[in-house]
Amino acid sequence: MTRPIPILLDGDPGHDDAMAWMLAQSSPLLEIRGVTSVCGNQTIDKTTYNAQRVMTLLGIDAPLAKGRPRPLTGEPMAAPSVHGDSGLDGPVLPEPVVFPVDLPACALMAKVLEESAEPVTIVPTGPLTNVASLLLTRPDLKGKIAGISMMGGGVTHGNWTPAAEFNILVDPEAADLVFRSGVSITMAGLDVTEQALVFPEDFAAIRALGNPVASVVADWLEFFYGFHRELGYAGAPVHDAVAVAALIAPELFHMEEMYVVVETGGTYCRGATIGDRYHLSGHAPNARVILGLDRAGFVGLLTEAAASYGRGGKEHG
Amino acid sequence: MAEKRRPVILDCDPGIDDAVALLLAAHAPELELLAVTAVAGNVGLDKTSRNARRVLTLAGTEVPVHAGAAGPMFGEVVTADEVHGADGLLGVPTPEPAFPLSEGAAWDVMWEMALAHSGELEIVATGPLTNLGIALTKYPDLPEHVKRIVLMGGATDFGNTTPAAEYNIYADPEAADLVFRSGIPIVMCGLDVTHKAYFTQEEIDRLEALGTPQAVFAAKTMGFGVEWHQKFLVPGAPMHDPCAMMYALEPELFTGVRCWVGVECQGRHTRGRTVTDAYSDAKSPHGPNVELITGVDRDRFVDHLTARLAAYGTP
Repeated sequence: MTRPIPILLDGDPGHDDAMAWMLAQSSPLLEIRGVTSVCGNQTIDKTTYNAQRVMTLLGIDAPLAKGRPRPLTGEPMAAPSVHGDSGLDGPVLPEPVVFPVDLPACALMAKVLEESAEPVTIVPTGPLTNVASLLLTRPDLKGKIAGISMMGGGVTHGNWTPAAEFNILVDPEAADLVFRSGVSITMAGLDVTEQALVFPEDFAAIRALGNPVASVVADWLEFFYGFHRELGYAGAPVHDAVAVAALIAPELFHMEEMYVVVETGGTYCRGATIGDRYHLSGHAPNARVILGLDRAGFVGLLTEAAASYGRGGKEHG
Repeated sequence: MAEKRRPVILDCDPGIDDAVALLLAAHAPELELLAVTAVAGNVGLDKTSRNARRVLTLAGTEVPVHAGAAGPMFGEVVTADEVHGADGLLGVPTPEPAFPLSEGAAWDVMWEMALAHSGELEIVATGPLTNLGIALTKYPDLPEHVKRIVLMGGATDFGNTTPAAEYNIYADPEAADLVFRSGIPIVMCGLDVTHKAYFTQEEIDRLEALGTPQAVFAAKTMGFGVEWHQKFLVPGAPMHDPCAMMYALEPELFTGVRCWVGVECQGRHTRGRTVTDAYSDAKSPHGPNVELITGVDRDRFVDHLTARLAAYGTP
């Protein structure tokens, strides 16, 4: 069996971050080398606490570091309507046995990159504040980043404003820096993640697996669907899990290479990701933009991941 | 007895696809084409105001043609002569104008016609929206009198002039912003639908085989579009401007959604972008201002457009 891909998880859990991490932790193809929290769905204190609880639940054995309390510029912006007041409302979670190390998030990222023999893939599922901080503080380590597989943006539409998706809108300057960094980017934006729907019958199948993690995942899906059902979604769009699934099973996704730029100004467009699908800008592509997926295959991946926790978790072949 | 013909002004920058829209309008039994107003766009105003008369001459009719703006309300002129050729009609043989330009600026004619046909006048706009922007500036009461504007412009996902913006809006974003915020009901036929409303090479050949001067002219101008639009992933020549005119004539061929559309006039990368809330969880506090056309029954569109051009052969 090939060696697992070393990854850094960087997120703002968040129900869909938690499910992305559940998928990552279960996969024998991935090896989690570090986890960083970022302010996004909730304040940095809440997302960090949630990261501790999720790592404890899933048994993620990697260092955790706390991110900045605010975006690179501007003020934090939370999403309690989606994730609740705690940032991860719903099922009761274990009290943490995992605690943050005494390093800023970007410093832990740098440490992991420095100590790794091979380049590491970063999986950001929140605002890109920490990744941008890493690129600003340690440009010399760019070569140690194998790629970025991220959830954020949308080349066809937004969700937090008509033009902008939440993760990018929270810190457009950070996103701009990341997209212009030259690091290889796989972008799971709303274009695909709003199609990555887990239907209520899928929740039931996951709950029926019977193991404690699967039960929590089913509860998370139920909670997360509540907000989206009001908006007319037929299921829960598990946005962040797409960024992980694209690493594990790229064959499930339709991707197009294009140049993507982040709008940081504008009356209506701040935080929009603009995709040069027709190659008009003269810029070489900087991202693989995911535009479609095999939904059943994606749900199968999540279900199988939840099932693996009933067999003692990660199964390295 | 035939239904009353609906009063229409066509505001355009011919332009190859404007020319086909003009041919459709000039011979449409449903419409009373009151005037054609020309604007700088695809090519300069001298050419668009002349080309409008050349195409009407080809159509065998005389409709008053009025010149409008020679450039955008703000900023530099953006032409598209790489698409439309130096003369704006790709050098396709077209008669010399049989009649002169009419007196009166485009915006004054719009206002006069709006008063004369208050509540009835429809404006089909297939170029940059400068003439309408100036009309709204000079006549703030114009929205009370115009029934609706059917326009070709914008794109809610990918632009064709910049990654973010479609040509007609990019060429004068401030004018477009005035139009979209005017309160006049707007039907937007942007790239969302025009890239679906294409003629394949075979369908263009069938049109040309009709043999009438109008059909041959239209087919020749369309032919170029097939190759040009490969980079836009369209398997044929999109009928950008004819789409707006066909909507004015046969709205039942199209599907759309009521939503908000705003024009980005600022932005480092997004100037001229048409932003919609149609696909976003977050809705604009301004509420819907546009019928955004997103789909077309392409087979019927091709058949009906072809039939309308074929009708020139039937006296």
